[in-house]
Amino acid sequence: MDFIVNLAAGFMNLFTLGGQQFMSWVTGIIPTIVMLLVLMNAIMALAGEKTVARLAKVCTGNPVLRYAVLPFVSAFMLGNPMALSIGKFMPEFYKPCYYASATYHCHTNNGLFPHINASELFIWLGIANGITALGLDTTPLAVRYLLVGLVANFISGWATEFTTRMVEKQQGVTLSCDFKAAK
Amino acid sequence: MSDYRSIRVEKGPGGFGGPLTITPTQQRNKVMYITGGGAEPECLAKIVELTGLTPVNGFKTNCPEEELALVIIDCGGTLRCGIYPKKRIPTINVMPVGKSGPMAQFIKEDIYVSAVTSEQVSPAEGPAPQAAQAEAKSEPKQGAKFTADQKVSETLAKQENKSLVTKLGLAAGKVVNTFYQAARDAIQTCITTLLPFMAFVSMLIGVINGSGFGNAFASILTPLAGNIFGLVALGVICSIPGLSALLGPGAVIAQIIGTLVGAEIGKGNIAPQLALPALFAINCQGACDFIPVGLGLAEAETETIEVGVVSVMYSRFATGWLRVLLAYAASFGLYA
Repeated sequence: MDFIVNLAAGFMNLFTLGGQQFMSWVTGIIPTIVMLLVLMNAIMALAGEKTVARLAKVCTGNPVLRYAVLPFVSAFMLGNPMALSIGKFMPEFYKPCYYASATYHCHTNNGLFPHINASELFIWLGIANGITALGLDTTPLAVRYLLVGLVANFISGWATEFTTRMVEKQQGVTLSCDFKAAK
Repeated sequence: MSDYRSIRVEKGPGGFGGPLTITPTQQRNKVMYITGGGAEPECLAKIVELTGLTPVNGFKTNCPEEELALVIIDCGGTLRCGIYPKKRIPTINVMPVGKSGPMAQFIKEDIYVSAVTSEQVSPAEGPAPQAAQAEAKSEPKQGAKFTADQKVSETLAKQENKSLVTKLGLAAGKVVNTFYQAARDAIQTCITTLLPFMAFVSMLIGVINGSGFGNAFASILTPLAGNIFGLVALGVICSIPGLSALLGPGAVIAQIIGTLVGAEIGKGNIAPQLALPALFAINCQGACDFIPVGLGLAEAETETIEVGVVSVMYSRFATGWLRVLLAYAASFGLYA
């Protein structure tokens, strides 16, 4: 009899532990994120797409602007996945490269700006929770995540130009690189 | 010209939406599947056989939206599951996912059905309302909502000889409404994506920690995530072309690994300094599953998508390890 009782108690304990975890996340994380989301959603709605579109036209010509500045701003102003739509201002050849950079930007900036990719936040939050558990502040980690991301995402975007050229040869196609032809 | 037949697709166990009736027409005669890095979903063969639709692999190529009668996806609940419903293209998700992700508001029963296997696909009897009609039916509804929303302010803005008070009122109203809508979206995001994920991961963590599995996990994860060599290896493995597309959907796997690594950091088994390279290592495959759709959002042409899918996977593989090393180099002095 004791065995069954212990088994049942152990079983319920699993879910009590899970519940405690859930409660600590809901009270510790949700309120701040909701407040941030409200402000950022409003900024996105008020200033969003037009501003970024204007910026995009200036930014396509230069690799640093194209893979570091533009995807950063797009991710901040439009969030995931709409930031990817800004690739439409690029010539065909550069679209995969912009994609490679912009998708990473939707993660690396997520530590400071959770509105960018709220539905995939746990990539950041999962690890950041460990830092919180140690009683440390997560902000230094978030700032470094963003800064390293800026450099690394630029490299990833730029490197895609080389892989794209490689795949072009493999498949025997040539994509347009003409900046003027692109709208 | 092959002739096309209608099918009826119901939701599977744990699924959402539907039943959908899909009626191909001469113009809408293709079914695109964007699943598992280009693998054919199990229900595809039956759908093709019953309808006579031409299958198109969304990972290899693209096709104009107006030719699509149907899209099959395997989205874990973040992006793809909302994109095609938003465009009002009937969508089948093989995963049991309901209204979820940033585009949850577009996922409705009349355009989306999930947890579908071949068992849920059956021939439709008689001429049924087609996809095109569903489109026509719902669009005025959306349009009407839009005007209902706008009308008061619009009429005010147009009709009256605007006084300063009206102008001020209109401007203030716009700002307040924008913020209110922003708040509604924020709560929606919490309910549709954040809370479910928290609940799911909490349950996992409870079971893992309470059952003693945690120690077993730690013994696997600590050597992998506890030093820089393991992290680079993790990054390389995650970004292997092909595998990267399989690991992608919903970023669910990366998020779970992140949580487990975080738990080990919290217990002191992994140095907090390594949190930074770990953030990069667990996400080297980032968005590899999403390439065709993402390029579609950028209005890329078919051949750009064909090249882009391969190219981005290659570049992820080529730069993944470098990102981890870069993060490692930048992590000195962090939490020291």
